[in-house]
Amino acid sequence: MSDELDRIRREMHAVLQQPGVRPDDSLQITRRTFIHRSLLFGAASVGQTFAWWPLLNTIDVAHAAEAPFKFAWISDTHLYQKSLNTRFVDKVVRAVQEVQAMDPPADFLIFGGDLAQLGKIEELELGVDLLKDLTIKKYYIPGEHDWYLDMGKKWGELFGQPNWTFDHKGVRFIGLDTVSRGPDYWTVKKMTPEERMGHMATLDGTVAGAWAGVGRDQLDWMQKILADWDKSKPIVIFSHNPLYEYYPPWNFWVRDWREVNDVLKPYTKVTNIHGHVHQVLYNEIGSMRSIGMLATSWPWPYAPEGVPKLTKPMIRADPGDTYDGVGWETVTVPADDKVDVEYIMWGRKEVLVQSDPDSSLSQPEKLRPRIADNMWPY
Amino acid sequence: MTIRATFLGTLCRPSFVVAIAAVAVFVGPTSAHKAPHTPEQLRQYEDVLMEEVRKGDLLFHGDAATAKQMNVVLSTTGMACAMCHPMASDTHPQSYPKFQVETSKFATLRDMINWCIEKPNQGEKIEIDSEAMKALEAYITWSNSGSVLVPGKH
Ligand SMILES: [Fe+2]
Ligand SMILES: [Fe+2]
Repeated sequence: MSDELDRIRREMHAVLQQPGVRPDDSLQITRRTFIHRSLLFGAASVGQTFAWWPLLNTIDVAHAAEAPFKFAWISDTHLYQKSLNTRFVDKVVRAVQEVQAMDPPADFLIFGGDLAQLGKIEELELGVDLLKDLTIKKYYIPGEHDWYLDMGKKWGELFGQPNWTFDHKGVRFIGLDTVSRGPDYWTVKKMTPEERMGHMATLDGTVAGAWAGVGRDQLDWMQKILADWDKSKPIVIFSHNPLYEYYPPWNFWVRDWREVNDVLKPYTKVTNIHGHVHQVLYNEIGSMRSIGMLATSWPWPYAPEGVPKLTKPMIRADPGDTYDGVGWETVTVPADDKVDVEYIMWGRKEVLVQSDPDSSLSQPEKLRPRIADNMWPY
Repeated sequence: MTIRATFLGTLCRPSFVVAIAAVAVFVGPTSAHKAPHTPEQLRQYEDVLMEEVRKGDLLFHGDAATAKQMNVVLSTTGMACAMCHPMASDTHPQSYPKFQVETSKFATLRDMINWCIEKPNQGEKIEIDSEAMKALEAYITWSNSGSVLVPGKH
């Protein structure tokens, strides 16, 4: 598997990281961007960078908004019914209260998917109920946990079209559905909806396969809605999965990243903000910047390979504290051509790793995929 | 140096059964009633391991039927081990035994498995030498095959 990953990753770099291709930096090169770039070319390993990384928990992205504004992001709440598990509920309540208390208020909230854990009606409705205390405008994109029990029926009833676009203060925002186009792994095996959902809800499952993708129809739609947009004006794209290839066995990617890149290539100020990974991530891929967000529910460890070199990793959470390693984000789009992402992690002040022992990456791992879910029926 | 490299290379190949047989011929049996391993025996040993790995995989991923069959309650919160440790990542079996911060004790992997069952999962801790514990240990260590032993590492 590792050789295959290596091959794909070399291909991604060959396609996307051609000489001189990176997100537009003509507007402002911050200290952080400068360090990112030197890392990119210096090819230093994550471990080697700990000693000299600055103590920062925001990420700058070059942009040009008409007027400064802020929005908030919450995702990956993975709600169970209240009777089974209240700790995830408590954390949504807290995130909602904190976003509601923002002063000045956020212009809007993006909910980045995985509202429910097993796609149940009660779980999705519980999510709506908890988020209703938040009075700002809310936009939703789906996660795989929301979708595969009833193939998006309830989600659609509650939130409408899963992909959408709007303009706000000089920025074009796009929400994508990267979860609903998975290959059919259930019909031949005659799975019940619950069994189908069970495989989808297992991050390291081997049955659901490469389900994350944008799809030809949605790519055409994106091309259409961007046709009238100035190539040098900012675009922010929300997706549940990252729009590049980080770790396919956990669907930390979209399988059609090449086609996504084809559509976005002409635009110089593209930022992708995504959930699903439950961890801090930063990458530059072609002319796009990509930022991974925290979950409110629980953190995933970094994948054993493929962590982008530009990512300053987050701390390894204390497993005894359910408020550690998780939280929500504010995104500031000031007038001076930047995007600042601030990670609000409840467990601690320093979100990012300061030294080796705080990182899950400090111990190299070689992992094998699981076997039991492919022995059907067990 | 060359000899050592060749020896390791031989062991790493799937044909190591043949290699062991060849070594036995050169050295000669130390006890007449001991027979060399047959391929059939080695397959059996492997099967025993993989059956434990399979059971451990299911327990680790919260399979209710397996937990019931083995009479264990590993979680009451809906959380399964694999939800924080996909592919048994971040379990670091190679780093045990070590001083465990969570318990302030020198601990084995089995101690930590029980800590996770009791604390984050709010399940019922299992006997340290129980079938379920052996299966979980088999799955975790098998998943991390190839990692280098570094006892005590944090
Ligand atoms: Fe998630
Ligand atoms: Fe997800």
